Order: sequence, then C-alpha cells, then structure tokens
Amino acid sequence: MNAALERGFRAVGAPLVAVGSHAFGIYSVFAQVVMALLKGAVRWREVVRQSYLIGNRSLFFITVTLGFLGLISVYQVASQIQRILPDFTMMGPAFIQLMWREFAPTITGLMIATRVGSGIAAEIGSMVVTEQVDALRMCNADPVRYLIVPRTIASTVMVMMLTIYAVFIATIAGMVLADVVFNVSPSTFVSLSMVSGQDVVLGLVKALSFGFWIPIVAGQAGLSASGGSAGVGWATTRAVVASSFAVILLDFIISGIGYTVFDL
Amino acid sequence: MIEFIDIHKSFGPKHVLRGVSLTVEQGQVLYLVGSSGAGKSVLVKHLVGLLRPDSGRIVLDGRDITWLSEAEFYPVRKKCAMVFQNSTLFDSMTVLDNVALPYRKHHRLDRAEASRRALEKLALVDMEHAARRFPGDLGDGLRKRVAIARALTLDPEFVIFDEPTTGLDPVAAANVDQLIRSLRNDTGVTAIVVSHDLRSIFTVADRIAMIYEGHIRLDGTPEDFRRSADPVVSQFIHGRPDGPMKI
Repeated sequence: MNAALERGFRAVGAPLVAVGSHAFGIYSVFAQVVMALLKGAVRWREVVRQSYLIGNRSLFFITVTLGFLGLISVYQVASQIQRILPDFTMMGPAFIQLMWREFAPTITGLMIATRVGSGIAAEIGSMVVTEQVDALRMCNADPVRYLIVPRTIASTVMVMMLTIYAVFIATIAGMVLADVVFNVSPSTFVSLSMVSGQDVVLGLVKALSFGFWIPIVAGQAGLSASGGSAGVGWATTRAVVASSFAVILLDFIISGIGYTVFDL
Repeated sequence: MIEFIDIHKSFGPKHVLRGVSLTVEQGQVLYLVGSSGAGKSVLVKHLVGLLRPDSGRIVLDGRDITWLSEAEFYPVRKKCAMVFQNSTLFDSMTVLDNVALPYRKHHRLDRAEASRRALEKLALVDMEHAARRFPGDLGDGLRKRVAIARALTLDPEFVIFDEPTTGLDPVAAANVDQLIRSLRNDTGVTAIVVSHDLRSIFTVADRIAMIYEGHIRLDGTPEDFRRSADPVVSQFIHGRPDGPMKI
C-alpha cells in the first residue's frame, strides 16, 4: 500500500518538480541576461554576427510562410464576404490591422522559435556535452554573457524587423490575390484606414517580447543538456516546445494587457 | 596543497563518489586512475568549481573552496588550470585566439597584448607555427598541445589533465607525457592527471591514486602499485579482462 502510494506521489510530483526546475532555470538565465545588459557587458561583434544569422538568414523562411499566410487568409475571408455581401472595401484594411496586431508578430515569433530556438539549443547543448561551456568558465567567460546575451539582443532587434517585413510581405501577397481572384483593386486593398498607431505599438511590443524570450528559453534548454548527442536532441526538442509555448503565452498576456489596461 | 575531504557526489540514483579523501602535495605529478565511469573526472572538476559536492570539503592551500560562488571561483581557476579530455578548443576561433582568450577574460588585456602573450605560450609547446590556423585543421595531438598552451596562459600552480593521451597515437601520447614531465621539472607545476593509459602512468607519475566503487582503493607510488597484492589493483594495472573488478 505504502509503495503504491509512493509511486502515485512520484507520478504526480516528478513532472511538477521537472516543470518547476525548468521554470527556475529560465528565470535564472533571464536574471543573468538582465544583469549583463545593465552592466553593458556585451560582445557587439557577436551581436552583429548573430543578427545576420537570425535576421538575414530567416528572410526566405519568413517570406514564404507569411506570403502563403497572406494568400490563404485573404482567399478564405474574401470567399465568405462574396457569399454574404460582395463589398470588399473593408477587407484590406481589416486584414492589415489583423496582421499588425496578431498574425505578423505571432507567426514570425513561432517561426523564429522553431528555426532559431532549435539552433541555439543545439549549439549550446553541443558545447555543454563536449565540455566547451566548462572551458569557457575556466577562461573566466560566463556562458550566459558569452553565449546568450548576444543572441538575445540580436533576436530582439531582428524579430521586430522581421515582423515589419512580415506585414509587408503578407499585405503584398493578399493584395495580389485579391486583385487577381476577386478583382479588388490594390488601392482599395492597401488602405491603412483601420490601422492606428496603437495597433502598430501592440504588434511591435509583441515582436520585441518574443525576440527577447526565445533565446533565453532556448539557451536555458541548451545549458541544461546532458548525456551526449541524445541529450542535445532532447534539449533541442524542449527548446522548440518551450519557446513556441512562450510565444503563445506572451501573445495572450500582451493582448490581454493591451485590451484591458491600455485599451489598445 | 590540495585536499579532498570525504567527497560524496551523486547523479540521480548513481552514487559516483562515496567519501573520497585525497591529498595532493605541491610539485607532484599525481595520476588518478580507475575504470571508465569510476568518477575520476568528476572528482577533479570539484577542484575548479565545475561540479559541487553533495557533501565533503575541498581545501586549496589551506582555504576551504567548497562553496565559493561562481565569481569567487575565478581566482581559483587562475591558480588551477584544466586541460579537458577532448581539448575543447573553440572551433570558430583561431589557435591564437583560443590561447589568448584567458588573457582577455581573466586579465582584461587588449587583443594585441593578449595575442603577443599567447604566442609566447604557443612557443612553449612548439605550436607558434599554427597560430593562425583553426583547431579543426589540426590533428588530435596538436590540438592537445594547443589546449595545454591555453591552460598555461595564466601561469597556474596546478594543472589538471583529463585523459590527456586518450585517442592519441603512441608518438603523440609520448610527446604529451614528455610535456607533462618537463612542466613539472621546469616550472614546478603540480599536475593531477586523470588517465587509464598504463604506459603513461608508469613513466610519468610520482604518485598514483586509484578510484574504485566511489572510494580511493590504493594511494601510493608506482612501485606500491606494482607490488600490490590487491586483486582489483593487480587486475587494473595488468589490464586483465577477468578478475574481481566490476565494470
């Protein structure tokens, strides 16, 4: 009976302990990144290199993803509008507003979480299991400052830039489809009548926040890797799941605060 | 002097170190031997704060360093350098930048001065010709030499070598052994060498300590090991497949 009870407690407690320890690890990396930023301990050359890797190397990926998203969204919405009232005047402005507020930052964040988050976890995880992180510590180079801070700055800036680019690409794709399939003129589609400064601010705050947290979550997963190549694999999977989850959670929180507190 | 006092360390359910006590005297070359997974590397990593014990104490030159913070360990790491098992050079940096890194991080030297001093250390291990090359272009033996040069940058009093000859051809391994000997003779460095390379052990060691089942099984001179009647020690030093050793 006691053994069964113990097994029951373990079955419930072990995942809770694992989640708690993971959350504490993320908080610890976050605190170290903030401290490093406050002290100005930044390797700017590495920030530039990481910006290229995170931003420029993601351009094709974002172009394809957001391009198709623009095509599909406009097609679905226009098909529904056509059935009810064939007036497409508000479709373009509403689409652009939705892109700014929700889809561009969130889809870009999720794409970066998978592409960049997995790369960060795999790279840092490999360094952990091959003792390179220990070697850094022996050289008086703090692994969080050395590896995660430059990626965090680069990702914060580049996810914001990619989000702006994503709005542009999705709008162009939607505009072309609306023109070719539904005869909506580009000048009617590309109207900013529904887009306010608040929409842009909300979208950019989300983008900045996703860009900031993805390297922290993925970096923590990499730093906690153990046990050779299998451990690196698990760390990479955990990084993708956790950073994607973080994007969704932050989207919900920022949207909620935006609606309820700032009336955005 | 280094003292490990009753060190216990577990990883999950695996109790690797079960009360290891060991003293390393100044100027000695101590070989730490034992089968793979016995906890040799685990023990030495405690000295430089890369691992923390579950219980027990580590005393370096009379100072208890067991629970120093990460920042407080940096001066200890200047004093005690480590050459890792796989050399662990940073592949994205040149050989020169790898060796210059401790100067830039520990001493905050600018790039030019750090590079100048790094070249001097590379010359000590006859590797100055490879300064502009990347570690990926070098063979294992040469990478090991660069790793030793990096470990020597801060003129440490103690150097930990984690399996320095594993994976090297016999000539490269003999070169590394010679380098460890000359370090001890020329600079008076105290070396702790984790190894199960029997040839190296009996040609270089002043003293040998064997870890078995989480304890020090025998601590003595190479001669003590040769004469030991302990069947576990005897099986290990003769490399016999059959015997009482649990693998």
